Amino acid sequence: MSEIYDIGYRHYDGVRLGRWHSTRALAVHSLRGIFGLGRPARSKIVPFSLAAIMILPAVVGIAMMALINQRGIAYSGYAVVMQAVVAIFLAAQSPTVVAPDLRYRVLPLYLSRPVSIIEYVGAKVVAMTVAVFALIAVPITLMYLGELVVDMAGPPATGEYLGAMAMALVLALLLAVFGLALASFTPRRGLGVASVITVYLLSSAAVPILYGTLYSSGNEVAASYAWLVNPFWLVDSVQSALFGTPPHSIEDGAYPGGVASVAVLLVLLIAGLFALALRYRKAAAR
Amino acid sequence: MHILATEGLTKRFPTVTAVDQLTVSVGPGVTGLVGANGAGKSTLIKILLGLLPPSGGAARVLDLDVTEQGAQIRRLVGYMPEHECLPPDVSATELVVHLARMSGLPRTAARERAADVLRHVGLAEERYRPVGGYSTGMKQRVKLAQALVHDPKLIFLDEPTNGLDPRGRDEMLTLIRRIGTEFGISVLVTSHLLGELERICDHVIVIDAGRLLRSSAIGEFTQATQTVTVEVDEGLDELAARLSGGGQTVSRQGRMLVVKVLGPETYDAIRDTTAELDLCLIRLEQGRHRIEDVFRDEVGAHV
Repeated sequence: MSEIYDIGYRHYDGVRLGRWHSTRALAVHSLRGIFGLGRPARSKIVPFSLAAIMILPAVVGIAMMALINQRGIAYSGYAVVMQAVVAIFLAAQSPTVVAPDLRYRVLPLYLSRPVSIIEYVGAKVVAMTVAVFALIAVPITLMYLGELVVDMAGPPATGEYLGAMAMALVLALLLAVFGLALASFTPRRGLGVASVITVYLLSSAAVPILYGTLYSSGNEVAASYAWLVNPFWLVDSVQSALFGTPPHSIEDGAYPGGVASVAVLLVLLIAGLFALALRYRKAAAR
Repeated sequence: MHILATEGLTKRFPTVTAVDQLTVSVGPGVTGLVGANGAGKSTLIKILLGLLPPSGGAARVLDLDVTEQGAQIRRLVGYMPEHECLPPDVSATELVVHLARMSGLPRTAARERAADVLRHVGLAEERYRPVGGYSTGMKQRVKLAQALVHDPKLIFLDEPTNGLDPRGRDEMLTLIRRIGTEFGISVLVTSHLLGELERICDHVIVIDAGRLLRSSAIGEFTQATQTVTVEVDEGLDELAARLSGGGQTVSRQGRMLVVKVLGPETYDAIRDTTAELDLCLIRLEQGRHRIEDVFRDEVGAHV
């Protein structure tokens, strides 16, 4: 049967591209996987419905600007207000990036190629960062374009918009690193989703408890540090310090100084990357 | 020319020495790496891929050093792992195209190569279906295809016949032989079953507990011995008596006679005797050593 069509083995003598090309291809492949592109329709339901929910407030914001000349959610506060949606997206989609390769032991197929483990993990982090960034940046950008089109009274809030975009990138990186680290420690998909969402819920539930306890016992300065436990408020506090935007904390609770926020942010980023490195060093040795 | 060569290669793990002072060289063609489970075959392959640093000694693959030039080696070799390594929710085509790109092939070339290679390993329409629904034989073919997709100069196949039924095993072995001959890609194939490698290898390396037991061309393993096996329909006793009477050394093995070859006259004697007795000659076959016998002897000698 196959003999009829058999034209013999042909060698490949075309170009062989470098490692950077492979790493980029892996990042694009992973990014497509996060949004379920090139996968069955059911893989697209979760990411695209969450993206749609993220965009809804932006649409309402544009309508408010056009009809009653009022701003909806501020650019700088969009991520904090919508944090539950972003967290669900992170929890639902992080496992799709790292879990199958670990669970089904696909990793050796990558490692037997020129791609190194650092490039592999780097590509995955970049893919998840871009995905989370897009989730936050698209509605903000939409709202900003809306503001320009409806031509609100007063100058456009371009500075606040650009600051919000920069912080969305920082937030996306922080979330991606932690989401992937947690998901890679629990390679079963369901467990991965549960572990990411649990850590998020703990981090956001801890804030009011810590804040309330410390505040009512008169430790106002210590209480302000409670906001740093949650990644969204942590990044917002950095934004507040860098760009002078108002805090988007609950009841406008004060943030600690910018130095502490930046330090905590850096420590968390390094810790997350270290956890990923540790996890993949072990996985690569198998 | 050597495809790969090791020099006093050693790999010690905290509790076990997986590869022990291994000095061996491999030429082009199909080479079998034989050893019991845990003999150090998979560890050796990982070292040769540059993924595991050796504790001592040196190894070169395609004239590249495994500790210094691992990335370059991995560009030129293919690897089929022993264990299952396929994600169930993607199709074979998708997976193989993606892995081709990971090896540095541009997108269109990756597609063409994947289609070519999947056809060569014998996957037709099913290559568009998710791998999760494949049989073990089909999965092994996909694993082989991903090792070949970037047209390597050398491929490492770790237990490619694992879990296959006899027919699947035959087809896989035929395919491996074709890769080594028609495709012109050198093959290092591991197995714990010697009989398999006997059929497809040019050269066999036998290791045990990480040490080299023997490395030689297949011809030396399966030297024709000086016996001939005779099978007749009936009248075996008569034939045996007649041949012994004629000065031949005859021993009986079940329904067959094994006759020691003293020279060309032995064949004449067998022919003439069966004709004289008017017997129905079914089989006349030169006796061969199987690799198993050699392996058993060598291991026996070492223990």
